[in-house]
This record gives sequence, structure tokens and C-alpha cells, in this order.
Amino acid sequence: MSLLSLFSVSLTLNNHTILNDVSFDVAQGEVIGLIGPNGSGKTTLFNLLSGFLKPTSGSILFKDENITNVIPSKRARLGFGRVFQHFGIFRDMTLEENVRVALEALPRDKRKELGNMDELVDATLDMALLKPYAKKKAGSLSGGQMRLLEIARTLTSGKELFLLDEPTAGVSPKMTHQVADMISKLKQQGKTVLIIEHDLPFIAQICDRVIVLDVGKVVLSGNPTEVRDSEELKEIYFG
Amino acid sequence: MSFFLHILILIGYCLPIVLAFNLIFGKGKILHFGPMGVSAATSYAIFVVLMNTHSFLLAILFGLLISILISLFFSWLSLRLEQDSLGVMSLAVHLTIIVIITNWTSVTCGALGIPKIPRLSFMESIEMFALVTTIYCAIFLYFLYKVDKSSFGRKLEALAEHSWHAKSLGINRAYVHAIAFLILGFAHVFGGFFAYTYLRFLNTHEFGFQSLIFIVMAVVAGKPGSFKGVTLAVILLILLKEGIRFIPLAPGILGPVRLITFGIILFVAVWIRRDTLFPQERLV
Ligand SMILES: Nc1ncnc2c1ncn2[C@@H]1O[C@H](COP(=O)(O)OP(=O)(O)OP(=O)(O)O)[C@@H](O)[C@H]1O
Ligand SMILES: [Mg+2]
Repeated sequence: MSLLSLFSVSLTLNNHTILNDVSFDVAQGEVIGLIGPNGSGKTTLFNLLSGFLKPTSGSILFKDENITNVIPSKRARLGFGRVFQHFGIFRDMTLEENVRVALEALPRDKRKELGNMDELVDATLDMALLKPYAKKKAGSLSGGQMRLLEIARTLTSGKELFLLDEPTAGVSPKMTHQVADMISKLKQQGKTVLIIEHDLPFIAQICDRVIVLDVGKVVLSGNPTEVRDSEELKEIYFG
Repeated sequence: MSFFLHILILIGYCLPIVLAFNLIFGKGKILHFGPMGVSAATSYAIFVVLMNTHSFLLAILFGLLISILISLFFSWLSLRLEQDSLGVMSLAVHLTIIVIITNWTSVTCGALGIPKIPRLSFMESIEMFALVTTIYCAIFLYFLYKVDKSSFGRKLEALAEHSWHAKSLGINRAYVHAIAFLILGFAHVFGGFFAYTYLRFLNTHEFGFQSLIFIVMAVVAGKPGSFKGVTLAVILLILLKEGIRFIPLAPGILGPVRLITFGIILFVAVWIRRDTLFPQERLV
């Protein structure tokens, strides 16, 4: 059974077609890489999935339910977890508050299910290797630390579908390993993950399947090695 | 002694209003310039009903009803409009409310105002009045303090910093804004009730820009979003406002001196906080 399905989703903004007839299925527990040149519409696709944009046509199904018109906060409560390209961390809050606010945004029964709030906050900071800085403002973190915190927070708040927008962008090479470890952790726990990435070896190492987007269209899809070695990919990236 | 009680009463009904406004304007960074519009509508709702029915209970209930309607309307505006349009629109709504009240003379007595407002019988003496408003203020402050530190406070702060990030965690902006505006509405109901039974007179002049400036100034001077800072600012500004009376000045000069003083304070406060006052909501 597929967890998420897109049926010929198109988006036109200001007479400009940004996504064109995008369809694909994502199975429960699958890790999918979404690649494509700059401006090909990857982030826009995530914004559609998170509910910040409404498709001009087409529909989105989550657990067999049509969620095309569901607002972002409700989608988050359904289990969508988003990690933003430019860090979705609240810089004016402490690390602890950053985790707490995510847990508090969950539906009550879900929160109960997850267990004690203080322990969860501790566990999250621990997972992101940031426990000593609990009371510090998040604005003081490095890019890599923010990324780890954001992914850890999404994981402990019980999300099921992870939308990771360039998780290694703005992260030092050393921390990239830690981010990769964290994503493997998601995979081990059976979470479903969509990753936008420019780093092909990174994608090949971690994903079950790769979808290639170019000028708003799905042009290629398949297992990582197939896609990496295909002539079409070289054509898209190098013209 | 009576000056001290007078100050206590003013603080008692002003402080909850300013702190509730701080929740919206300071913590939520929502550019709401309509609080005096809410105040005017609720106060008139209360006292028109009170003068016609002589029932305090009915008056308060009707005030609550009107405050709920107007608060939800402002909260709806805050969801639909960008910050700058909201600022202008909320001022326009404020003015519209005042114009309606001034011209609906058959109900509101227009520019003449509503005189001879009665007090609750046990609050006739200034001592009792001061005691009751102080108790009310303490309870409301305790509630606001809890709200400020609660998950609701964090949600408001998260939405203020980056609404997309907040929504993608599951925070419902419509719900959070509605609660914040309702809290301010309730502060206006009780604040208005105490204020005009204290003064025994209600007039549209009470809801002019001076009053709006006073509230905004208190929040800005006290540091937007800071519970302690704004509390302190309100107390000091009320002392200053009432203290100016003791300077031997001709009555005609007193008003302008007060306005100029407050103008200067607001200018200095805004200048000092010019970088942090309204940081653009982060877009990335
Ligand atoms: N709100 C908008 N209005 C008009 N055009 C937009 C809007 N948002 C995005 N676009 C356009 O849509 C296209 C796709 O943008 P998007 O950010 O999705 O690309 P991307 O694949 O994520 O690129 P990158 O790899 O640089 O992050 C771009 O041409 C962009 O200019
Ligand atoms: Mg992008």
C-alpha cells in the first residue's frame, strides 16, 4: 500500500508553470531521493506536499485520504514532518524550547502516546548531540547543529513522512556524516523519507529510489545506480 | 493617600489591558493598532446596557459578547492581511467604531457621552474600589503570566518568528490568533467596566489616539514581549502621567505638556529599539 500518492499534480503561478503533471507513489518505509537542477521545482513540490501551496490541478493522497485541500498545520498533525532548506529552527528560542514547541503542537492523544515531555526533550537534544546547550538560543548554533536538531525534533515528535530539503546544504563536511547517520536512523525505524539533494553519492548511498525533476516534470525515476549512470541525467545536468 | 489609591486603581485596570496587548503586539509581533476600537465598542456595549437595564450582570455579559465578536473580527483580519495592511486596516476599524458611536446618538448619546454611571454598591468608596481592582489585576496578571510561559506563548512566538516553520510543526495559526485576541478583548471588558464606573462618565474622547499611543508606548518602552519590562513600564508611565499634575502649571498647558512628554518618551523608546522592534518575519 502506498503511503503517499500524487496524481498528475500541476502548479501554475503568475502564468508560469512550475510543476507539470507530476505523479508518483511513495510506499511506507521507502527512502526516495528527489534530484534535479536548480529551479526545477523540488522545493515547490515540498511546499505543495506540506500544504503551503495548492496545486492548480491534480490531487494528493495520504493514507488513501485526499489531502489536497488540507491546511499545513493539519497535515503536520497527520504525520508530515518538514525539514527546511534554510533551517526551520526558531533562532530566538532556546534549544529546549525549540523541541518543546514541536511536541506541544501535536494532537493531545499523540503526545500522550509519545511519553513524558521532559524526557523526550532530553532524548531529542541527546540525539542531536546538543544536550549541553539546552538553555542556549538556537541562533547561536552552526548550520550542521541546526540541521541535526531539526531532524531529531521531527523524529521524536513522531512524524511518519519526512520531507528533507537539502539536509546537507550549509553543513560542514564533518557534520555531513552525522546528518547521514541521522537519516539512516530514520530508515532503520521504518520511517518514510523524501530527500532533496544535490550530492549524488550521498543519495546513492541512502536511497531506495531516485526521482529526477527537470523544469517541473518527472523525467526519470528508478534505483540510484541506474539513474546515476543514465545518459539522460548527464543530459539534464550538463546539457 | 487618595492619590495612592487613585494610582492603584489606574494600574489595576490598565495593566491587564497593556499586558494582553503585549501578547499580541510584543510576543506575537502582530501589528494590531485597533485595541482602542475594541475598548470603545465593549465599553459602550456595557454602559448602554447598564444605563437601560440597571443590571450589572446583563451589562457585563453583553460586553463580553461584543468583545468576542470584535476580537474574532480583528483576529480574522490578522490572518488575511499582511502586517503593514493590518496596521492601516486596524486603525481604520478603530476610527470607524468611533464614528459609529459618535453618530449613533439615540443609543450612545454621541459626543455628550454617558454621565452618572453608577458603581457596584460595594465599590462606592475609593478604598473598596482600589481593593477590588487590585485583586482583579492580580488575578488577571497571574493568568497572563501563566499564558506567557505556557505552550500557547511558545506557539505565538514561533508563529511570529516564522509562520511556515511553525505551521509545519502542527501549530494552527487561526486558533492561536483567536485566543490571543480574545484575551485582549476580555481585558478590555473588565478594564472598561472598572475604568468608567470609577470615572462615572464615558465619552468617546477616552478612545482617541492618545490612549492608543499610551498602550503602544508602554509595550515598546518596556521591551515588546517582556512580561516584567512591560509591567514596569506601565507602572512608571502611570506615575509619570498622574504625577505631572503636581507640577504647578496652568490647566491649559497641562494637557500639551503631558502629550509632549509622552511623545518624547515614545520617540526615544522607538529609537533605542529601532533594530529589534519589528524585525521582518524571516522568509527563509
Ligand atoms: N511563489 C512563487 N511565485 C513564482 N515563482 C516561483 C514561486 N516559488 C518558486 N517559484 C519558481 O519556481 C521555480 C522552482 O523553484 P524551486 O525553489 O522549487 O526550485 P528548486 O528545485 O528547489 O531549486 P534549488 O535547487 O535551487 O533549491 C523557480 O523558477 C522559482 O523561481
Ligand atoms: Mg530548493
